[in-house]
Amino acid sequence: MAELIQKKLKFEVEKYTQMQKDVSKSMSARQKLETQLTENNIVKEELDLLDSTNTVYKLIGPVLVKQDPDEAKATVSKRLDYINGEIQRYEMLLKDLEKKSDQQRELLASLQQEFQKAQGLAVGKA
Amino acid sequence: MAASGQLNIDDLAGVVRLREEHKKVVKDCESRISTWKKLSDDYEALNERLETLPDQLSYDVMVPFGPLAFMPGKLVHTNELTVLLGDNWFAKCSAKQAQKIIGHRMEHVKGELDALSKTLKNFEARVGFAKDLESISANQGDYVDIREDMKCSDTPTTKVRQRIAHKPNSKPKLDAILDVKEEDEEIDEDDTAEGSRKGILSEEELWARLDELEKLEKLEEEQDRLSDNPDINGEDTSSSSSEEEKEGEAVNGVSLKPSWSSVPNSIALPVIDRKEEEDEEKEGDCLPTIFFSHTVEPKKVRINTGKNTTLKFSERKEQKEHIKRKKKNGHTNGHSHHELHKITTPADIYRSFVDVRNGEPVPRKSILKSRSRENSVCSDTSESSTADFEERRVMGRSFSHDEATYSDTSDGITEEDSPTTIPLHPPSRFEAFSGTVIEKDPMPSAVPHLTIAPPALPTIPERKQEEVATDVALPQQIPKKVSKFKAARLQQK
Repeated sequence: MAELIQKKLKFEVEKYTQMQKDVSKSMSARQKLETQLTENNIVKEELDLLDSTNTVYKLIGPVLVKQDPDEAKATVSKRLDYINGEIQRYEMLLKDLEKKSDQQRELLASLQQEFQKAQGLAVGKA
Repeated sequence: MAASGQLNIDDLAGVVRLREEHKKVVKDCESRISTWKKLSDDYEALNERLETLPDQLSYDVMVPFGPLAFMPGKLVHTNELTVLLGDNWFAKCSAKQAQKIIGHRMEHVKGELDALSKTLKNFEARVGFAKDLESISANQGDYVDIREDMKCSDTPTTKVRQRIAHKPNSKPKLDAILDVKEEDEEIDEDDTAEGSRKGILSEEELWARLDELEKLEKLEEEQDRLSDNPDINGEDTSSSSSEEEKEGEAVNGVSLKPSWSSVPNSIALPVIDRKEEEDEEKEGDCLPTIFFSHTVEPKKVRINTGKNTTLKFSERKEQKEHIKRKKKNGHTNGHSHHELHKITTPADIYRSFVDVRNGEPVPRKSILKSRSRENSVCSDTSESSTADFEERRVMGRSFSHDEATYSDTSDGITEEDSPTTIPLHPPSRFEAFSGTVIEKDPMPSAVPHLTIAPPALPTIPERKQEEVATDVALPQQIPKKVSKFKAARLQQK
């Protein structure tokens, strides 16, 4: 009885650790997105500062590719929107993961209690 | 102590940990701030460079050649800069434009720096607090925990000075008296100050009790009317309003009982209502015994019949006296002074003086009227001492009948126009309540008294006039008197 519970407990613990990893992953991804967001914001503003006389280049790999300033602005704005969307998606994901992890935590707690009881019984019996 | 000591240790450990965590955050903040500062410095330097760069067409510089070598070279196109805008975007711009961009970036950096410094400050404060907490929990340092126990019970008691409420005790006299007295006190307090000395429970119990008594009284009243049986459950030990009841109840002792009991029930507000009931019913009976428990001699209430016109109604005292009276009289169900006992402000006095006409409480214009002649007779200006009260009570008793008769006559008049016809009551009432216990004997006894009444009359009027002067009276008394007299008159008839 106690062994069974122990196995269960282990399994649940693994699940929980996995969940925690997922949570941290999505967290880091979200943070990256946030930095990108700020960066793109700055780029957008700086592009606005410049007029169309300067040439804008985009680094693609080892190549600097010339870009039209207006086009660049548009691209940057699009990228910004995309990043925002991604952030929201990741937030939702994060929420779900957190909920699941909480549930898992509760489950673990209850299992632990059971395990202790069983252990106590076993000890008593022994 | 051990437990507390343990607690301290735990707290200490927790606080220490908290402090450490805070410190970590603070360090982190500091490192971030340093990086941003560096960035800002770099930008400053760049700005400076850009200022001077376009000055010359070309510069001779040592160009880094690989990681270990430099080569002499020239810096050309000094005004053309390729600026990294971020996210792999580049822009060719002049030095001036680059400067603009730098300025823009600098703003951003500054913003970040400010935010970080704020967080740093916050956490530093937290660290300090944690430190203090640590020292407190360790009982070190100069920190002292100041505690003040709040005693809820104190406030109500202090708020309300003990008012002795007459609680309508439906129990028969003697037993009731004692209990009632206590209850009255409780009730008074409860009523007046919502602070139950005895606690909230007692209040509730009392109220419940009051309700019961009320019902009982009503039933009894009806019975009494029919039977005219002086069964006095509880004289009004409860309320000072008993005074008023007295008058009303002068008519019948039985009715007094019910009314009285009902009155105490409603010590606070319904008192007036009760009285009405009582009054009405009382009139129907013959001379019942009226037992007023006047708790307080109108120490404060000086409804003096001439001496002082100060009206200070100390309910408590009346009530106490009421109780005493009741005790002495035993069974008489005094008028429930429900109204009276509730007097806390001058307005209350007027409120208590209510004539019962057609079953409705009509506020009396002059409180001098009605109130128990008995009171006027007994109470007088002397008032207020329980001892006096006792004496008065006795006097009151003797006079009660007189008053009854007197009141009867006056009742006829007063009932209709109470305020104008009989002036005396009010002052006496207070006094009466405080010290006068009007006991009304059952019919037979009343009759002989009636005969005696006349001689008493002359004295009474004097008092009444005196009372009139004071113009302070418990309205309740007046109506009661009316009823009493009426009852007596009826009886006579």
